[in-house]
Amino acid sequence: MLSLWQAHLSFILLSFVLLGSLRLTAPWRPWLLPVLALVSFVPINGLSLAAYVRSVTDDLAISTLVLLGWVSLRRLGVVHPLPRGKRAQVWLLFGLLALSLYPATLGLTYVDPYRWGFNPRPMIVLMGVAALVLLWLRNPLGMWMLGAGTLAFALRLKASENYWDYLIDPLLAGYCLVAGCGLLAGAGWRWLRRRPRAGAGRLKPSL
Amino acid sequence: MRALPDRLMSIGCGLLLLAVFFAAWRSHPPHELAPFAQAGPATAATAAEARPQYSSRFVSSELKDFVHSSSVTALPGGDLMAVWFAGSREGAADVQVRSARFDAKSGEWGAEQVLATRESTRSGTQRYIRKLGNPVIALAPDNRLWMFYVSVSVGGWATSAINVMVSDDLGQHWSAPRQLITSPFFNISTLVRAAPVFHADGSIGLPVYHEFMGKFAEYLYLSSDGQVLDKFRISRGKHSLQPTIVPQDGRRAIAMLRYAGDNHHRVLASRTEDAGQTWSEPYPLEPSNPNSSLAAVGTADNGLLVALNDLQDGRFKLSLYGTDAKLNEWRSVVELDQSPDPLGQPFSPEAYKEIIGEGFRASSGARRLPLEQRFLSNLDYRVCKPRGCDFEYEYPYFSRSADGMYHLVYSWNNTFIKHVSFNEAWLAERL
Repeated sequence: MLSLWQAHLSFILLSFVLLGSLRLTAPWRPWLLPVLALVSFVPINGLSLAAYVRSVTDDLAISTLVLLGWVSLRRLGVVHPLPRGKRAQVWLLFGLLALSLYPATLGLTYVDPYRWGFNPRPMIVLMGVAALVLLWLRNPLGMWMLGAGTLAFALRLKASENYWDYLIDPLLAGYCLVAGCGLLAGAGWRWLRRRPRAGAGRLKPSL
Repeated sequence: MRALPDRLMSIGCGLLLLAVFFAAWRSHPPHELAPFAQAGPATAATAAEARPQYSSRFVSSELKDFVHSSSVTALPGGDLMAVWFAGSREGAADVQVRSARFDAKSGEWGAEQVLATRESTRSGTQRYIRKLGNPVIALAPDNRLWMFYVSVSVGGWATSAINVMVSDDLGQHWSAPRQLITSPFFNISTLVRAAPVFHADGSIGLPVYHEFMGKFAEYLYLSSDGQVLDKFRISRGKHSLQPTIVPQDGRRAIAMLRYAGDNHHRVLASRTEDAGQTWSEPYPLEPSNPNSSLAAVGTADNGLLVALNDLQDGRFKLSLYGTDAKLNEWRSVVELDQSPDPLGQPFSPEAYKEIIGEGFRASSGARRLPLEQRFLSNLDYRVCKPRGCDFEYEYPYFSRSADGMYHLVYSWNNTFIKHVSFNEAWLAERL
């Protein structure tokens, strides 16, 4: 069961974040966590519900668990919302990581960034610098996502020996890319609305 | 007044971060690839002295199963162990990984054993398992027996993951299966088919391939206890898979690949000169390849033996070729099995029964020979379709035993796993 701790934690946090986004669950949120913890152990054909979800998602990255944990605390009102700018920093960092990793897994070239995670020292230095920059920017979420992922990697808490698997997974990549694109689209829309219309003021309605 | 505690907090967090990243840096030192293990077979007699030997027999014995994707490894004392998958059809939920043991004294294969099922894989990996396939078995230099096979949780073969089991007592008992983490994308799309290569320090090189969107080959590098340490790309793109690797010395090796494109339909080759870390761009060789699996093994004169379907289309003929280390000169050694029709056209059930009966008697070996009548009365969808009945000889897998014998197993008309063995003297006569 200990080997499945991550599957259960992922199931509980993921379900809580999804259900917690519904307004009707607001009065029940503090009770949702223990209920979901019990549900995650419900066995079907000898396999727990959490294990079924893990069969599809694989073990989530530790940074994803930190993000889900932070969103859960936010849903419970324990932490204050992060300003949009700081959230954008997180989206930018993990979006860049996703873009540098996933396209190459399709095998179109001989370059395989996933290998960097098997020989991780340069990546560890790079992520260490990124974590310090996030600390300087007073971005606790990004800092803890990198810090907890790296600590778990040092302690070999997952079955993988690859640093990437502690930092990012397709769910986190998808979230950051969608949120980042949304941010860019919003900024573009605001810029378009602020722009003075071409010829405005020159055309007068004919009477 | 709050500035000082804030600054102290920041400095504390910074130091904590530095400690965490330093711990990660210290705990993951760089690793180096050991050279390939140089364990050439200790041939008991030279080719000139020995009597030529060539024989065949069926490994499997269940008559109703669709059987496919076999592999074989030599055990100490001349015994062999083979694994394959069997079930009602490829990809069915009832497919199991089966094994059988070859007794060197009697020269026959024993009864089938079940080595892995969906249920045992689900229990070991704690994941839902939809189907199993492609088992590969190999004996490591430290006499540990490794078995790799693929499983699928969701979707088709393109979403496969690799599972591993290990035995410390030559196959009497096996560890529970566990899944290798080989891909950052939900750990899907890594498959295995060909024989592992062992390195001098006991580490394992596993030829693998991807089928999700792209089709390309990689060399997965595992520690001697089966932890994934690294991987190296052999090919790229959408046209090559199922690499089979033959080391030539401590640093050099040749990979031959199945061609999955639409242009030349030829076997591909790639080379490494640094024990598997970098591979040359694959290039087409002389023999054809109809997008089917092939197997290669090194010979005593530093050449290669290659078993393959040397066809543009279909798998109705399985050939054995010899080639030199440069892969320039190809010589036909023997047609291992083939349809009487040179174009592989289907036969009527009546004609087919007669021909395959003859093939059965020539292939079965003494122990499986009594199964002939039951086999012939059970020719079903595995060989016969509405348009007629076909011959299919495919998915070869090579191994060499310590006495210098070559062992080849392959799928025989989806109904049996066939084992062909021969020695250096027989080969010398043919080349």
